[in-house]
Amino acid sequence: MYKYFAVFILTLKEYFSYRLNFLIWRLRVFIGFLVPFFLWLTVTKQVKNFAGYDEKAIISYFFFSHFLSYFILGTRTVDIASQIQSGEILNLLLKPISFFRYHFFRDLADKILNLFLSFFEIFLFFEIFSIPFPSTNFQFLPLFFLFLILGLFLNFYLNLLISFWGFWSTEIWAPRFIFFILISILSGSFFPLDVLPKELFSLILFTPFPYLFFLPVKMISSPETLINKINLNSIFFMGSFWLIIFFFLSCFFWQKGLKNFSFWGR
Amino acid sequence: MFKKIKRNLKILLLLTYNSLKITSQSRQGMIFFTLGKILRFLLLFGIIFLVFSKTKIIAGWSLKQVIILYLTFNFIDTFSQVLYREVYRFRPLVVSGNLDLILVKPYHPFLRLLLGGVDLFDLLLLLPYLFLLLLFIFQENVSFFSFLLYLVLVVNGLIIATAFHIGVLGFGLLTTEIDNVIMIYRDLLNLGRFPIEIYQQVISLIFTFIIPIGVMITFPVKALFGFLSFKNIVFSFFISFFLLWLSVKLWQIGLKRYQSAGG
Repeated sequence: MYKYFAVFILTLKEYFSYRLNFLIWRLRVFIGFLVPFFLWLTVTKQVKNFAGYDEKAIISYFFFSHFLSYFILGTRTVDIASQIQSGEILNLLLKPISFFRYHFFRDLADKILNLFLSFFEIFLFFEIFSIPFPSTNFQFLPLFFLFLILGLFLNFYLNLLISFWGFWSTEIWAPRFIFFILISILSGSFFPLDVLPKELFSLILFTPFPYLFFLPVKMISSPETLINKINLNSIFFMGSFWLIIFFFLSCFFWQKGLKNFSFWGR
Repeated sequence: MFKKIKRNLKILLLLTYNSLKITSQSRQGMIFFTLGKILRFLLLFGIIFLVFSKTKIIAGWSLKQVIILYLTFNFIDTFSQVLYREVYRFRPLVVSGNLDLILVKPYHPFLRLLLGGVDLFDLLLLLPYLFLLLLFIFQENVSFFSFLLYLVLVVNGLIIATAFHIGVLGFGLLTTEIDNVIMIYRDLLNLGRFPIEIYQQVISLIFTFIIPIGVMITFPVKALFGFLSFKNIVFSFFISFFLLWLSVKLWQIGLKRYQSAGG
């Protein structure tokens, strides 16, 4: 376990070596947060109750959404595909460490740093614009942690799977671009998914996207408005189903990719 | 004069042909990227309808006005991406020192660095955006003068986009931090997808007077519907030409400081 802790520390050090890059990245994340936040704030100020969301509920949703977005969705696995293409992956394959665990700990460092900075950003933003800080319903905290862990692992295996595309194709960015667009809209970072018409919302619950982001954020921001709309057992079953599917698919394509992989010149 | 324009056009066509040849090498990627862009366009279009499903007015804007704003955003954004794609590939030229090979050529370096990678695949998306934009505009009761003013302000928006891209090139010469700067420009531009009035007053003022995203996208649509004051029209032209001048100055300063490196 010590070696993975070293990976974690080294990844953090890597970020501190390229501080400007990381700060610019955070600036970009923050700019991205402004559009949905102000759009829905304006809407709820005007409508008062938009599918169960008033001004307070929308502020709470986007507060936790910004706080958690890159804790859940942040990943370093995007590098894997280019490492496969360049042959750099060989350096890692020759080492006596688990490839999956190595990347999981790199991801963890990325997530913790993102969480830390997002806390400062959102705190400063709410203070400057005198926006009231939302309260949390601690009754649903166990459910929040459950869906948070589900979302973290689902995101990890899903990202690994997309990166393994690099074993078979040189077009590594295009599928990730589509994935990013689906994530940014269908996972609930642009709007709370439960404002959608009931049928459409139920349909989206069958996809893996709401389990990545929407459900953890919802469970800490305003769970009481969701609990009446869904069956928690079936939601948890569906999320676990996707996690198992993506775990086995990533393991399968990792093995298959390794058999297919060849490189020379390093 | 005409001879020079003709010669530059000939070079531009040649560069565009080469760019098309390069991009068509990765057909699979182009298909995925185009599909992704269509998907993003449709999903965000759906969000506009979702927002207006419970109200008729948002920050003083009606559904059709927001649709025209969203289509104007897509038109200006895609048009500048079609023309200025080469800016995204500037950093390796500076880092490797290969920029020297472009600077010594007997034509203006912007021809290659700014316009040298025309993205014809994005042009395919521009046509349906333009069709939809005109379709929605002509459904509205707008005067010929307002439409003309709208067109002039869209061109003005494109001048601001040009200024931003030249500024990025200049900044790239000074710092090589080009990838991050161009992505911040794109993120800021995305703020213009919706009316600038939805943001708090301070932010809205910043995005009108300091980083004029509002002037680029919101102002043309406001002019179309007669919301834009004469003062703001004058300001739009002033800021675009000021930014263009500033960006060219930045490029010139960058060129003076540029010391060939690498190769």
